[in-house]
Amino acid sequence: MTRSIHPVLIALTVLVFIFLVGPLVIVLGAALSDTSYLTFPPQGLSLRWFENIFEIEAFRRTIVTSLEIAFLSTGIALVVGVPAAYALNRYRIQLPGWLSTLFILPVLVPELVLGFSLLKNVATQFHAPIFVSLVLGHSLLVLPYVVRVISASLAAFDFSIEEAAISLGSPRLKTFFTILLPNVRSGVIAAFILAFITSINDVSISIFLTGPGISTLPIQILAHMEQFFDPTVASVSVLLMGLTVAVMAAVERTLGLTFFAK
Amino acid sequence: MTQALSIQSITAHYGTTKVLEDLSLEVAEGELVSLLGASGCGKTTTLRLVAGFLEPTSGKIELGGKDLTRLPAHQRNIGLVFQNYALFPHLSVADNVGFGLKQRGISGDAKTKRVNAMLERVGLAPFGDRLPGALSGGQKQRVALARALVIEPPLLMFDEPLSNLDAKLRVDMRVEIRQLQRANGTTSVYVTHDQEEAFSISDRVAIMHAGRIMQLDTPETLYQRPANAFVARFVGFENLIPMTVVARGGAGVTAEAAGGVRLTLSQDQFGAIPDAFTLACRADGLAVTTSADGIPATLGLRTYLGRAYQYQCDTPAGHLTANGPLTRPLEIGAAAKLVPVPEQCTILAPE
Amino acid sequence: MKRFAGWTLSTPATLLVVVFLILPVLATIVTTFATAAGPFAPYLGFFGSGFRRTVLWRTIQVSLATTAISVIIGFLTAYVVSRSPGWLKSILIIAAVFPLLTGVVVRSFAWLIILGKNGILNSALLSTGLIAEPLSMLYTQGAVITAMVYLFVPLMVLTLVGVLEAIPDDLLQASASLGARPSATFMQVILPLAVPGLIVGAVLVFTGSFTAYATPQLLGGEAQMVMGTLMYQQAMVTFDWVSASTIAAIMVVITIAIVLLMTRVARRLNPMAT
Repeated sequence: MTRSIHPVLIALTVLVFIFLVGPLVIVLGAALSDTSYLTFPPQGLSLRWFENIFEIEAFRRTIVTSLEIAFLSTGIALVVGVPAAYALNRYRIQLPGWLSTLFILPVLVPELVLGFSLLKNVATQFHAPIFVSLVLGHSLLVLPYVVRVISASLAAFDFSIEEAAISLGSPRLKTFFTILLPNVRSGVIAAFILAFITSINDVSISIFLTGPGISTLPIQILAHMEQFFDPTVASVSVLLMGLTVAVMAAVERTLGLTFFAK
Repeated sequence: MTQALSIQSITAHYGTTKVLEDLSLEVAEGELVSLLGASGCGKTTTLRLVAGFLEPTSGKIELGGKDLTRLPAHQRNIGLVFQNYALFPHLSVADNVGFGLKQRGISGDAKTKRVNAMLERVGLAPFGDRLPGALSGGQKQRVALARALVIEPPLLMFDEPLSNLDAKLRVDMRVEIRQLQRANGTTSVYVTHDQEEAFSISDRVAIMHAGRIMQLDTPETLYQRPANAFVARFVGFENLIPMTVVARGGAGVTAEAAGGVRLTLSQDQFGAIPDAFTLACRADGLAVTTSADGIPATLGLRTYLGRAYQYQCDTPAGHLTANGPLTRPLEIGAAAKLVPVPEQCTILAPE
Repeated sequence: MKRFAGWTLSTPATLLVVVFLILPVLATIVTTFATAAGPFAPYLGFFGSGFRRTVLWRTIQVSLATTAISVIIGFLTAYVVSRSPGWLKSILIIAAVFPLLTGVVVRSFAWLIILGKNGILNSALLSTGLIAEPLSMLYTQGAVITAMVYLFVPLMVLTLVGVLEAIPDDLLQASASLGARPSATFMQVILPLAVPGLIVGAVLVFTGSFTAYATPQLLGGEAQMVMGTLMYQQAMVTFDWVSASTIAAIMVVITIAIVLLMTRVARRLNPMAT
């Protein structure tokens, strides 16, 4: 194929990618600035704003909370999502079509509405602890990612391998762990990672389920910004961008980044 | 307005891998030439180069004397029929066929008329309004054919057009393609890996291997007089026996193979025999007998072919495959003689 | 056991969604029809308030603008990305995935630094002498739309690269062999085949911007209140939960209606499905 693309299109694409990456480069620069206000390009290089993150108790606490919630909710989503994805692929004929829609419902329902409804009808109504509601909300938030990613890797799985194992005398449950899971391992890892970062970054559900006692990192960033406009937020942002890079490296090693363009 | 195609010492690369080397091919006006070979032999690459989807590293492609080499694909005016049909799924059958006319600024009645006439010719007149998704494989291929023919191109190219059809349809369609091509007299290049298909449909066939044309000839010549060991094997000469002439007497020539096996061959039947040559025999070309002179053999596995028994034979000249009559099946381990049948054998000059 | 294996395995996930998503959300919606003032009172109240109508209208405007810009930019960019040679394509996909996986707070914060009164854009414009005093760009509709486009373009590009790569090369070659210039191939083959994907992408962007919170909060503030920020304010600042539930119900109905309608349209337009 002679791949000739109009130069105007190429110029536009270059601008779009500057638009996509530029703002994040600016955040990185601002985080490294030695000034007490946000500026770019950085004036003097310093890591003191990174140190400042850990000097603020609220940041220390919310980082821990966010990690706890991300691990717990991703764990729950995997425990319920992997069997569900397996059932959807393996027993497609006996299950109704709406079931797969059910598992992507959390994407269709606005997150704000889910967060508010959990606050109003679970946390308040049944006096469920806020932390539990947060974990439940995040589990629902990441469930569609888990089901989708696992389904994608199961779609490439030849279920006759499983039948071969059973015909050779392997019990069903054991087959699931010894044959199926190892074959979709990269899918499980990728699902974990994507769910994890989605939970860490969430605002719309958490905003309703935080209060004086408990908060997540993104909500704490919003709160900090209302009072201070110093480079601390920029350096927290850079930490989160570092997490993004780690996530991308992990996804590249498991599913390949082209997964995102599918 | 058919035109001759001339490919002149084309070399092509995919990245740093050389896929075609110094390939030349002349296709005369109105002629159908097949490019035949296994996958990776360069046949599809050749077609893509002519179509303009690839650029050669060096060499020249001419159509009707006009240089195409650097012309963009859409200006080449070549009708292409794809393996997967490549019908536009969002356009009706009629719009698919009319696509090329539309690009040429032909619209309205003139377009409708030509589209309908073409659909009539391929027997799809009632299907004009359908979407390609609603058609069978054979119908899709007819639409693809109609779409390529309607622009009245000086050159038609087929890229394994029948490989997605079932066996019976494949035979019917290739007759149909040949008839349409004959009727229009359009110069054609036909790419396939199916020997029977290539031989049945073509004026001449180019057998390709590793980016080169091994032999370009009529199907008859290829089948009976392959020019080299590769082509001989390709067209079904299972046994290749290297031999050296030890004595010449009149028309008869005595030659020796490995293991001291000697055969006397007649130059009246085989033509001039050089001092060193390879005797190529089909399985049918080595008759299994018990009486006559021939290559002494110990018979191995016997299989039933319907018209004959086939034996895997151990001989001093190596492992050979030979056929014997149905009347007298022989057992494993039996001793026999293998006698060349001149009509099913040929002589290959040293390469 | 085998007959019910599918059901058994999908039950935990089903329960999670039904008990903690469907029921609570339905309860939220139901309460708006069971107020002391009568079944439709909250809705009459919502649409009777000029301020709230303005908020709804602004949200629709912002979402439509975001969608339109994201679709156009995303499609053209995705086209170039999908036609790029392998190594470049990988780099471009990485460059699109990186912002996609970076949180909404970080991405909105970046625009806060850029568009602020003492922000980078103002400093740059001041130093070049193009303007005499800083422009107020924050808390405008433009700021919200810009940051929202920034939020959704990566998603659009990646979705459409997938859509464009799914179009077989054969079709483009067939088009060229029939004499179509690259622009004609683009308009007559690529664009029609990408329309279903474009619709899916547009729905994602529209519903995403329609229900956004963090970005309009940071870049629009009180001045550019949208449905999401209004709902939060009603729920957590004025503690008017009936009003917040009403807004929630309107968001759910509009979101799901658009998703159902447009996926149906997209399916009907998808010739590849047959």
